[in-house]
Amino acid sequence: MDAMGGDYAPEEIVKGAVLAARKDDVEIFLVGTVTILEKELAKYKLTNGSSINVIEASDVIQENESPVDVVRRKPNCSVAVAAKMVKSGEADALLSAGSTAAAAISAIQFMGMVDGVYRPALVGSLGSFAPNTVLVDLGANVDCKPHQFLAFAISGSVYAKRFLNISDPKIALLSTGSEESKGSDAVRQAYSLLGNSGLNFIGNIEGSDILSGKANVIVCDGFIGNVLLKFYESIGGYAQVWTEQKLKRYPPVRALVRLLFKSLFPATKISRETEKQGGGILWGVDGVVKIAHGASRAPSIANAIESAKEAVKAGVVESLKSELAKFSQGGKL
Amino acid sequence: MTVEDQVRDIVAKITRVDKSIITRQSTFKEIKADSLDVVQALVAVEETFGIEIPDEEAQKFQNFGDFVSYVESRVAQEEKV
Repeated sequence: MDAMGGDYAPEEIVKGAVLAARKDDVEIFLVGTVTILEKELAKYKLTNGSSINVIEASDVIQENESPVDVVRRKPNCSVAVAAKMVKSGEADALLSAGSTAAAAISAIQFMGMVDGVYRPALVGSLGSFAPNTVLVDLGANVDCKPHQFLAFAISGSVYAKRFLNISDPKIALLSTGSEESKGSDAVRQAYSLLGNSGLNFIGNIEGSDILSGKANVIVCDGFIGNVLLKFYESIGGYAQVWTEQKLKRYPPVRALVRLLFKSLFPATKISRETEKQGGGILWGVDGVVKIAHGASRAPSIANAIESAKEAVKAGVVESLKSELAKFSQGGKL
Repeated sequence: MTVEDQVRDIVAKITRVDKSIITRQSTFKEIKADSLDVVQALVAVEETFGIEIPDEEAQKFQNFGDFVSYVESRVAQEEKV
């Protein structure tokens, strides 16, 4: 665990590690400044069998530094050291609530990419309204080259198979129209690549079809994906406020609406589902990398640890490698 | 294999572009290399040739040719030593 990354690091990271270690069969390595981490860890009583180790990382990334600098100037910062531990086999997964870019760059540089993948992507299920739909990329790649969309589609397909139990996921490209000619240059070139890939590609879909369930895997660049995800997660809260305002003259109905939103209306659960998983997996690097939200508190960190453990057990990296190998052999990647 | 060929191979592998389109006049923008591609290429070249490329030198590279020329001069220096 990158114990120094995150809005509430290292306090909440250490607390989250303690929570996870108490309830789970997991060995945790907290990577960062040893003196600080040991002081934090001393606040908690660990039960017998709990295993938390502290590993020194001599470099510290400052707020004004570019994440790219990790590679050349700060190769011993906490997230980089954690990535190297996964590469060497000392750890099975890396978890960071710090800069996504720094974690991604450390993973690329120190763990390496799976053959056929250029850059890692964030994959996530839309849950609630579209439980059988995943979106790729959720924000790791702002500008994408056409061949990246194919790797995104394969990653999303593996996710849908392993976590949603969909045997032959339907894949679509998010665009401004269903016709092949619609979208940016990269999207139009990607259409052709996906069409010839052998994947179950159903063509372009528009924004209005995202929640329809037409596609199990929706592929887009990280800029669109990240904007879309945050908008989607905000809908529930605003819908509740809007409905309550409309009903302010009818307090009993308003109370009922509040209750419905809190317990039944699915939109408000979207964030809770994301919270439950503690963030997303970075797909395409040669190892399990879990990216937790920067604002994660201890319970979310504990959930992220559990989720990273599940990803290791599910063999997501091996599944992705095996799926990608089929395309590499066919010369499509 | 010349230093230029080796550097070209490294850059082509990282940026995933066909090495035939990388000429000495090609800018990093023309070969669609972003900042991470450039840094990865610098690290790979440093490791391959056992040299260190200071940031202030790397920032002067206007195109692939500048990059290659710098690496060639450093490799020649190392050989003399």
